[in-house]
Amino acid sequence: MAKYQSGIAGIWLEEDKILEAARKCQSLGFKKFDTITPYPVHGMEEAMEIKRSNIPYVTFVAGLMGCLSGLLLTWWTSAVSWPINVGGKPMFSLPAFIPVIFELTILFAALLSVAALFYLCGLPKINPPLIDPDLTSHKFALFIPKGEVGYDENKITELFKQLGAAEVKKVAEY
Amino acid sequence: MANNHSDHHQIQLQASPFLPSSGVKTASVAAAALGGLALIVGIFKFQNQVWPAFLLAFFYFSCLAIGGLFFSAIHFVTKAGWSSSVRRIGESFTAFIPFMLVGGLILVFGLKTLYPWADAERMASDALLNVKKAYLNYPFFLIRLFGFGLLMWFFRHQIVGRSLTQDKTGDDQLTHSAVPWSIAFLFAFSLGFSLFSVDLLMALLPHWYSTIWGVYCFSGLIQATFAAMILFAFALVNSGAVKGYINIEHIHDLAKYLKGFTVFWAYIAFSQFMLIWYANIPEETEFFLLRSQNGWLGISMALLIFRFIIPFLILLPRGVKRSEGTLKLVCWGVLVMQFLDLYWLIYPNFNDNSVQFGVIEVLVFAGVAGVFMLSVFKFLEKNSPVAIKDPRMHEALNHHVNY
Repeated sequence: MAKYQSGIAGIWLEEDKILEAARKCQSLGFKKFDTITPYPVHGMEEAMEIKRSNIPYVTFVAGLMGCLSGLLLTWWTSAVSWPINVGGKPMFSLPAFIPVIFELTILFAALLSVAALFYLCGLPKINPPLIDPDLTSHKFALFIPKGEVGYDENKITELFKQLGAAEVKKVAEY
Repeated sequence: MANNHSDHHQIQLQASPFLPSSGVKTASVAAAALGGLALIVGIFKFQNQVWPAFLLAFFYFSCLAIGGLFFSAIHFVTKAGWSSSVRRIGESFTAFIPFMLVGGLILVFGLKTLYPWADAERMASDALLNVKKAYLNYPFFLIRLFGFGLLMWFFRHQIVGRSLTQDKTGDDQLTHSAVPWSIAFLFAFSLGFSLFSVDLLMALLPHWYSTIWGVYCFSGLIQATFAAMILFAFALVNSGAVKGYINIEHIHDLAKYLKGFTVFWAYIAFSQFMLIWYANIPEETEFFLLRSQNGWLGISMALLIFRFIIPFLILLPRGVKRSEGTLKLVCWGVLVMQFLDLYWLIYPNFNDNSVQFGVIEVLVFAGVAGVFMLSVFKFLEKNSPVAIKDPRMHEALNHHVNY
């Protein structure tokens, strides 16, 4: 179960304003804030200075594991456990096994990437808390949790208003 | 920032004619002259060496020229925005297309040395060859060879011509009217290039056939085209001819293409190999037998390692696709491997299947390379190196590759 935090959220109606707000919060030294947007906003990663995800490394290692498993599987079944002579070819005929090895590489890489994504994002979230239902259609939110460095409700409310927030609201859980 | 309109007004945009350094230009002229000389001497003195060498060079640069047109057509058809700043690089390669016809004319003199079907004696004594007479004969071969060249020239005129006219008039309509021509080109290309590769390369071993041949040759064509485009993109930016239009985001996407089609090459090469290896029918295995003995096995393995495994692993990390030094190295490697691949396709049929490589191969290749470079340089001097009036240019300027 994901842990929820309380804090304060600003809601904007324009994409460029939420980007500016994110940039400002980043430059003020906030570390734990998050933005919620209805679609991926270009430039948000840079604005929030989000580090690149580690999922590609998971994919690579999982792919290698799949590759090795395929090699072991084909070798063990065809050359060790139940050798069958097919067309006079060697028991361990790599070209014939490449498709199996390839498929297992892809299968492992794909499934474990999705698993890693679920793990890192804390999915699935059952009945997640809602800051504003319109965040899935046309509103943008920036949320600062109580545990944030230098958290001060009044200052943040003031900051959000300066940044052009349409609404600033206290959030009990996000 | 992608969506901040105030930002990109600060980017200085410039697209001035590309003037290669005098050293590169002199080298190209010298290479073309030397190659021409080697070709003439070879035609009179070393027929058996010069024709395979010329075939290799002719096919290599024809591939790049058509590959450039293919890039342009694909991006017109898909109405791509990001590529409008690099599209002109592909279009500049098509400057070699007229020379395909010249090369075809030269090649006509070598048909008898190159192709068993062109030798009347062999044709008469070989029953299996004789049944392919309806396809493999002089008039039909010449119609296909020059028909393909003329067709490519025609489509170049329609597609690249529109792009160049737009530079002057700024007429958006040209982008839209290029779409049907590009669709027509893609059909003509897929059929025409398949026949082109079957006629020029597969017919060297006329008893043998592979139905995936055209796709195999295409996979090499497209991988080499992306490598050459990336190298030219860096050259345009570094020479200062293009400022602001091409940035690391475009290079990154071209590098993604390069990686994708590196895998595609391996996929097609393996598809061809595995079915032949598995079925093990003598008339099909001939091709790979020729490439597994007398020293050819090493070259076959080198292709697997240096055309697929190494570039694939190097291009995996994101950082490499955005780093000039490593990316250039991979591109040069891919271009060398395209040479090795064509060498591997052509040469096992000659010199009694022994691996032979000498001065004449180098000189003839350098000659055609010189002509290719000079034609591309001339194109880039005469025309803007960027399609500056493209109606989708704003998309390219704001291009932003997410993680």
